[in-house]
Amino acid sequence: MKTIVEAKGIVKRYGEKNVVDGIDFEVSRGEIFGLLGPNGAGKSSVMKMMYGASAISEGELFVIGLNAKKNFREIKSRVGVIPQEDGLDEEFTVFENLMLYAGYQLIDKNVARPRAEDLLRLMHLEDHRDKFIPELSGGLRRRLTIARGMINNPEVLFLDEPTAGLDPDIRLWVWEFLEKIRAEMGTVVLTTHYMEEAERLCDRVAILENGKILALGAPAQLILSKIGAEVVELKVEQKDLGYYLERLKENNFRYQVVGSSINVHLDEGQNNQDVLSLVFSRQVTIRRPNLNDVFLRLAGHNLRGEPV
Amino acid sequence: MIKWKEPRTEKIPLTQKWALIYQIWNRNFLQFKRFWVISLLWILIEPLFILGAIGYGLGSFVSTINGVSYIVFFFPALICTSSMFISYFVSTYDNFSKLNFQKLFTSQMTTAIEPQEIVLGEILWATTKGAMSAVGVSVIASFFGLVDSWRIFPALGVIVISCLFFSCFGLLITTFVKNYDQIIYPSSGLIIPMSLFSGTYFPIENLPFGLKYFAYIFPLTHSVRMVRGLLSTGFDYWMILNLAYLLILIYILIKWCSIRLANKILN
Repeated sequence: MKTIVEAKGIVKRYGEKNVVDGIDFEVSRGEIFGLLGPNGAGKSSVMKMMYGASAISEGELFVIGLNAKKNFREIKSRVGVIPQEDGLDEEFTVFENLMLYAGYQLIDKNVARPRAEDLLRLMHLEDHRDKFIPELSGGLRRRLTIARGMINNPEVLFLDEPTAGLDPDIRLWVWEFLEKIRAEMGTVVLTTHYMEEAERLCDRVAILENGKILALGAPAQLILSKIGAEVVELKVEQKDLGYYLERLKENNFRYQVVGSSINVHLDEGQNNQDVLSLVFSRQVTIRRPNLNDVFLRLAGHNLRGEPV
Repeated sequence: MIKWKEPRTEKIPLTQKWALIYQIWNRNFLQFKRFWVISLLWILIEPLFILGAIGYGLGSFVSTINGVSYIVFFFPALICTSSMFISYFVSTYDNFSKLNFQKLFTSQMTTAIEPQEIVLGEILWATTKGAMSAVGVSVIASFFGLVDSWRIFPALGVIVISCLFFSCFGLLITTFVKNYDQIIYPSSGLIIPMSLFSGTYFPIENLPFGLKYFAYIFPLTHSVRMVRGLLSTGFDYWMILNLAYLLILIYILIKWCSIRLANKILN
C-alpha cells in the first residue's frame, strides 16, 4: 500500500460554518507531510478527522486503507497520535502513563513493558521514568507524549503542532527525531504554523487558509514556482509607492506590497541590481524566498496572522 | 441544537468492548490503590458519624418506628444514602476534571477507546466506590449486631444498582455544567432533598398531603424500600417494580450520557 492517507472533498462543519471546506490530498508512505497555515485555518480539524478524534461532516477519508467514517477504531489502534493538548495522566508516573495507554490499545502487558522501556530510552526519558507528570518540564512532557503515541508500533504518526511552545533546543531535537523516525518507520503527518518547521521537515506541504488548500507540493518547488529565486524587500515612502510600482511593472518585475514595503520576487536570471536602480529605498533586504512569501502571495497576509 | 444520536458507532466484539471498559475502570482503581487507606477512610467515616449521631444519638429518643427500633429502621437508608452521595460526587467532580481540565477523555479517545466505553468504565468505577462504602459500613455495623443475616448480600446487590443510577446521573450532570460551582445546583436541589425525603429518616407515609406519592419519583425511595425490605420488613412483590424503575432509568441515562459525552469529546 503506497497511499497512507487519501482525502476526497472532506468537510468539517460546525453549525453553519465550514472550518474545513472540501479539501483533497494524499499522503504517501515514507513521507513527512505537513499541513501549514495560520491559527484557525482548519489544519487541526483536518488532523482530528484523520486520527479519528472528530466526525467527518462530508467527503471521503481513507487512512491506512481504512474508511475513517466506519473503521475509526481500527485506524486509532494502528496509528500514533500526538495531540497538541497532551492530556497526560497527572495522577501517574511517566512509565505508568505508557503502560496505561498500552492498556487502552489492548496490548498485552508482557509485550507493552519492554516496549515502554525501549521508548523511554529512545526519548531519553530513562532518568524520569518514575516521576509524576506535574514534575515534568514542557519538553519532557512533549517527549513523553510522542513516546505514548508510539506505544502501539504505529504505521503512521500524526503530530498536531509538535513544537508549539517549546524552547528552541527542544524544537531542534524534535525535528531531528522526526527525521530519524521517517527514515526508520515511515510516514509522518504534522500540522504547523512555523514555516521554518515545514521547510526543514516536510517533503510536501499543503498550505491551508479558511479551510481550503491554497497550494500543495514540495516546499522548495512551491517557493520556486510561486515566488522565484530571490526576494528584494524595499521599504519606501507611502507617497512614492505608486510611482515605484509603475516602474517595476514596466520592467516586468513581479512584486507584492506588504505594508510600507515592496517585496520584489525575482526569477532565476533576473538581477537584483536592476531592481535597486529602479526603486530608491533606504532599507533594502535581499534574501532567499520562503514559505511565508508563498503564503503571503496566496492569502494576502502573514502566516502568523500579524496584520500586514 | 440538541443531538439525539451518537455522532458515530462501530460495532466490536463484546469481549473487546468489555476489555476496554475494564481499562477505564482499572485506571481509576490504580489511582485509588495508591492512596487506598485515605480514600477508604474518607468514604467510611462520614456514614459512620451519621450512624452514630442520627441512628444512635437522635434515634434513642424514638422508642420504635414501624414496629422496629429506630436504628434498625434507619440503617438500610443510611447505606443507600451514603453510597448514593459517594457515587454521585465521584461521578461529578472527578469526571468534570477529567473532561475539562486534564483532557483525559480526549486523549483516551486517541486509542481504541470510544466514548461509550469511557461512559461505562467511569460509571462502573463510581459505582464501585459507592458500593465499597456500603460494604465497609455493613462490615463495621455487623460488629454492633446491626447486620446478622445473609440477606445483607442481596441488599448490597440492590445498593450496586442504586449506585449505578446515581453514577449515571452524576456523569450526565457533568456533561451539562460549565464549572465546579454549577455542580452544587443539582446537588442541593435534588440529591440532598432526596436523601431527606425518600423514606430515609422517617417513613414516606408521614409526608403531608399527597407528597408520599411524589416521593416515588425519587429513585432513592425505591432503593431504600428494597434494602429495608430485604434487611428488616421482609420481601414483597412490589420490589420487582422498584427494581424495574431503577433499571429503566439506568438504561435511559447510560444512553443519554453516551450521546452527551460523545458529542462533547468528538465534536
